[in-house]
Amino acid sequence: MSEMSVSVSTPAVHPGSQPLPEAPAKVTVRNLNFYYGEHHALKNINLALGTNRVTAFIGPSGCGKSTLLRIFNRMYDLYPGQRVSGQLMLDQTNILDPKLDLNLLRARVGMVFQKPTPFPMTIYENIAFGIRLYEKISKSEMDDRVEKALRGGALWNEVKDKLNASGLSLSGGQQQRLCIARTVAVRPEVILFDEPCSALDPISTAKVEELIQELSENYTIAIVTHNMQQAARVSDKTAFMYLGELIEFDDTSKIFTSPTDRRTQDYITGRFG
Amino acid sequence: MAVQSDIVDDAGPYDRAKALSAFKLGDVTFYWITRLSAISVLLILGGIILSLIVGAFPAMKEYGFAFLWTQRWAPSADPPVLGALGPMYGTLVTSFIAMLIAIPVGLGIAIFLTELCPQWLRRPIGMAIELLAGIPSIIYGMWGFFVLGPFLANTFQPFMIKIFDGVPVLGAIFAGPPSYLSLFNAALILAIMVLPFITSISVDVFKTVPPVLKEAAYGVGCTTWEVVRSVVIPYTRVGIIGGVMLALGRALGETMAVTFIIGNSFRISSSIFAPGTTISAAIASEFAESDGLHQSGLILLGLLLFVLTFFVLAGARLMLMRLEKKAGN
Repeated sequence: MSEMSVSVSTPAVHPGSQPLPEAPAKVTVRNLNFYYGEHHALKNINLALGTNRVTAFIGPSGCGKSTLLRIFNRMYDLYPGQRVSGQLMLDQTNILDPKLDLNLLRARVGMVFQKPTPFPMTIYENIAFGIRLYEKISKSEMDDRVEKALRGGALWNEVKDKLNASGLSLSGGQQQRLCIARTVAVRPEVILFDEPCSALDPISTAKVEELIQELSENYTIAIVTHNMQQAARVSDKTAFMYLGELIEFDDTSKIFTSPTDRRTQDYITGRFG
Repeated sequence: MAVQSDIVDDAGPYDRAKALSAFKLGDVTFYWITRLSAISVLLILGGIILSLIVGAFPAMKEYGFAFLWTQRWAPSADPPVLGALGPMYGTLVTSFIAMLIAIPVGLGIAIFLTELCPQWLRRPIGMAIELLAGIPSIIYGMWGFFVLGPFLANTFQPFMIKIFDGVPVLGAIFAGPPSYLSLFNAALILAIMVLPFITSISVDVFKTVPPVLKEAAYGVGCTTWEVVRSVVIPYTRVGIIGGVMLALGRALGETMAVTFIIGNSFRISSSIFAPGTTISAAIASEFAESDGLHQSGLILLGLLLFVLTFFVLAGARLMLMRLEKKAGN
């Protein structure tokens, strides 16, 4: 993966006005419902994430987009009183199977959070930690993998001389790219981004966005964002959600130029939300 | 607008300066009250050390540094022979064993309570821990004397002797005639007494770990154990060590329960099931009927405990600093 240059002026709609051809589904969601205790947070969601495509989820706060993302890696399982019904497949694996090995699922479905979350250890260890959970490899192999992951996170040149510094000593944008590198290092199939840039400055945001586009060559990506320009820039498909329902799901260029639903149009033109 | 100018007219520039100076006076008073409170800590600490040194001076002059490595304690001999080796050994050994037991158990309880425990069990266990801290130490002493002591002497010690008979070092540690009063009994009681400190402080600091950090660790596929070991404990390291230090300070200085069950023997035995004594137990059991050089020797023991605690805590700080360097902070 090549090193990137800072470019703040990214095209309005990626990767041009022509949408990419339909990709085979990596993650399939059918009739999905989700409840926080009594609260019915997601209502009958149906959609598919295309393999090696970027799917953006937009909508006002509380519409359920982050909730949906947290079902893809069963993060909701950590908390009592949250339950789900419906069908959710990752290739041939039923993600909602109660007997599923969650650690293996989360190795296949990585996640990057709203706030950077480096672990309280060195930069090197932040990357090596995740790899070690699944593989026993020699020190030199590990060095290679860490370098590769940091290059993948477009961070190598900035940290190669201080791999033993604490991950917490990096700037916010660097921390977020460290977290992306950490996620990539485990070699997942799907990467979930939950508002990855909301705590970053514009330059770091541009870097992360560019990184997301590069990653989409090899990974299936879902991104939740409040920034509609960001959704337009990085995604192939966009899902607009409102009050727990999926209102519209289509090619990004279509959603942003000629949405079918009135509510979608109101939201992207800033009339509510 | 009219209303505003009225106010300005009523409260002229003179009044405002007066009001401000009143505030200033309050500020100065407040500053001095807080400052004196802080200084009083130094004064009290200094006063205690000074009076300990003054009280211990005759014994210091008489025995010098030999006090530290003399095992014999014969206050009624003429002239009295006093040595601190026995109580020092007992203090360190009982505290060490107590921490060896209390740290893993206390952390285990804290991890269970914060990471694994079902909601309905959380309150009962949490309250039981708090109650444990509320039991007066004399109750622990009685329980150790009447319940734990007989059990250790009649059941546990013979069992350990049977297992480790003939094994070098370990055999000697568990050997000896059974006794209700022993170093190990005191260490066990100390472990139970300091457990609430370690647990409640660990629970509090574990709760400060941001949920998103834990989610991130689960997100790369960690098991609960891996999340706790690699994220929760390193993140809260300083707090945990603080709790352990507090517990250790308590264990080193605990008097009443220990005096009850340790046996008050100044002889050092290789077996942890033999009677022994600690510095605080020695002072508590002998101070009332002591005088002259004997009393001065006991005060010197007190000063030693002070110094010992100081070094242990300083050592812990040092260890913490090295840990942090290793983690790259």
